[in-house]
Amino acid sequence: MNGEVSLSCRDLERYLGKEEERVHALRGVSLDIQAGSLHAAVGPSGCGKSTLLYILGLLDRPDAGAIVIASENVSDLPDQERSRRRNELIGFIFQFHFLMEDFTAEENVMMPMRRLGRLRESEMRERAAALLHDVDLGDKLRRESRHLSGGEQQRVAIARALANDPQVILADEPTGNLDTANSERAFEVLQNIVQKGRKALLLATHNPVIAESCDWIHEMKDGRITASHPRGTRNSVF
Amino acid sequence: MTAPLYIALRFATHRKRALLLSLVGVVFGVAIFICTQAQTQGFAQYFINSTIGSSGAMVLRTKFQPRYEGLAVAAKNTTGATNRRNYFEGVSNVSEIMRVSRQFSNVVACAPVLRGNVSARAGFENASVEIYGIDPAAQLKATDLATQIIAGKFDDFSNNTSAAIIGYKLADFLNVGAGDAIQILSPGGEYWRFTVAAIARSGVGTVDLNRVYAHARVAQRLLKKPYQASMIIYKLRDPSRAPELASHFEELFQHRTESWQEREEGNLQIFFTLRVSAAITVSLIILLAGFGIFNVLTMSVLSKVREIAILRSMGYRRIDISSIFLWQGALIASVGSLLGCVLGAVLTWGISKVPIHIRGLLYTNHFLVVWDWRHYFWATLLAVVAVFIASYVPSQRAAHLQPVDTLRGSSL
Repeated sequence: MNGEVSLSCRDLERYLGKEEERVHALRGVSLDIQAGSLHAAVGPSGCGKSTLLYILGLLDRPDAGAIVIASENVSDLPDQERSRRRNELIGFIFQFHFLMEDFTAEENVMMPMRRLGRLRESEMRERAAALLHDVDLGDKLRRESRHLSGGEQQRVAIARALANDPQVILADEPTGNLDTANSERAFEVLQNIVQKGRKALLLATHNPVIAESCDWIHEMKDGRITASHPRGTRNSVF
Repeated sequence: MTAPLYIALRFATHRKRALLLSLVGVVFGVAIFICTQAQTQGFAQYFINSTIGSSGAMVLRTKFQPRYEGLAVAAKNTTGATNRRNYFEGVSNVSEIMRVSRQFSNVVACAPVLRGNVSARAGFENASVEIYGIDPAAQLKATDLATQIIAGKFDDFSNNTSAAIIGYKLADFLNVGAGDAIQILSPGGEYWRFTVAAIARSGVGTVDLNRVYAHARVAQRLLKKPYQASMIIYKLRDPSRAPELASHFEELFQHRTESWQEREEGNLQIFFTLRVSAAITVSLIILLAGFGIFNVLTMSVLSKVREIAILRSMGYRRIDISSIFLWQGALIASVGSLLGCVLGAVLTWGISKVPIHIRGLLYTNHFLVVWDWRHYFWATLLAVVAVFIASYVPSQRAAHLQPVDTLRGSSL
């Protein structure tokens, strides 16, 4: 793997639950993701894909190991700083899109920008409109997100993840709740954004077509990355 | 507009009914607090104005001298030499004391009074009364006697040394009116005849029932007193500072001096107790409103768990999340207090028009109210504190929600 590394982790360990119910969710996971590359984490349910994404996205803390984002070790930062890095450097996309239902598409996309506070209201509106236009929702800016279709909601979630022009995009089953046509469309949008914007993307997926379209596939099992393959060098495990 | 405020406004508009209920609680709490304080203080203020208007803000009476006890060892538990005094009836050097008193900036006017207890008779009715021998001109400056006249004329009293002014309750009791005659029984056993020149209503029940004003020289002869005045009453620019001045005058003139606060301590305590009692009762309404807000915001936090997790995933800090709910509380407190103050003012005005027939301690035909900005300030402060406490707990709960738990477990 060559090129500028945007996101990297070393020897991540994570235990979930308490005492008797404790599960060793991550067992020494290490990963490097370069700018402009798409990485897929695949594996059965419960293998630790989502846990890895939440830890890399600074939503959860590892019990051991290090995370480096944009050349900065962010493992031990206090909660406030982790929130700031998350706002500036990371965009999240979830399986169930997780939009603010009562807010319009435009308002949803503006939410990360409001926290960042670098743009004026009019500039935020312009940027939100441009991002929604890029995902073919330029005509639905003012529509409340609950009145959008599943595919449209997921595209709003993608636009929102890009609101602050993050270096890293983490997507947890981004197409898991969409039909085939919408899945392909959403992934196509993501591919374009990552490649044009030189962003690093790590997505967890069960979709073999999407996984095999990524630059790298990381197979996970029982909290470990058991194998990592560049595109086209792996026999299907699905 | 900050991000938390923007989100708070958006969240608030989505739960209109709950928000309205919270608001109603605060509005009524604040309004009733203002209204009850205006009433209770209204009655108290009326009583204070009446008592100061008829008996002065401060009274100097009874000369004293320190009692020296030689070399005798003081008994245990005695409080010291200042409490051991010999008292002499009446005021000595009245003119000199009044001249010096007038040099004090807080003293507006002072008037000598010769006071004694006698019996008044008219027809078959007899009453024990206090006779106040006054200098009409000085009394007018030091008290509100002129404005208290409800029948007859003050000038008829001033121009006639055998005239008297009596309280309206006494007039009712003796069944006399202006121009009628009453008889005063002197300590020597003689009846002195007076013409009722005017009838006064001070508003203080005991004054209106017991007091008879006569000319000082006539009263001195009637009471057979060797001194000119048994007390000097003072009108002060700032009656609230009467206790300090009384203490100073007592030291300076060596005469017992009493402020209106000391004189009316018992009645003032009753009014104070009523005010505190009303304040506590109404505070309970605000407290209940606080519980309501606590419930509304707690429910709001529970219903927004998903949104909170989304916001956290976008980089919103714990403090941003708690600010959203504190802002909601602040909105309820500010809008509720504002509307409550307006409603409180309207209620106070309405209450002041309600007829009421009081003829005891006070005389009034309608509810008495006081317009005081401090009632509005305290009501608002109370509401703000109650709402802040009610908002703080849910806001902290929201701030400490773990986003991963929600994101991991949520499937819409």
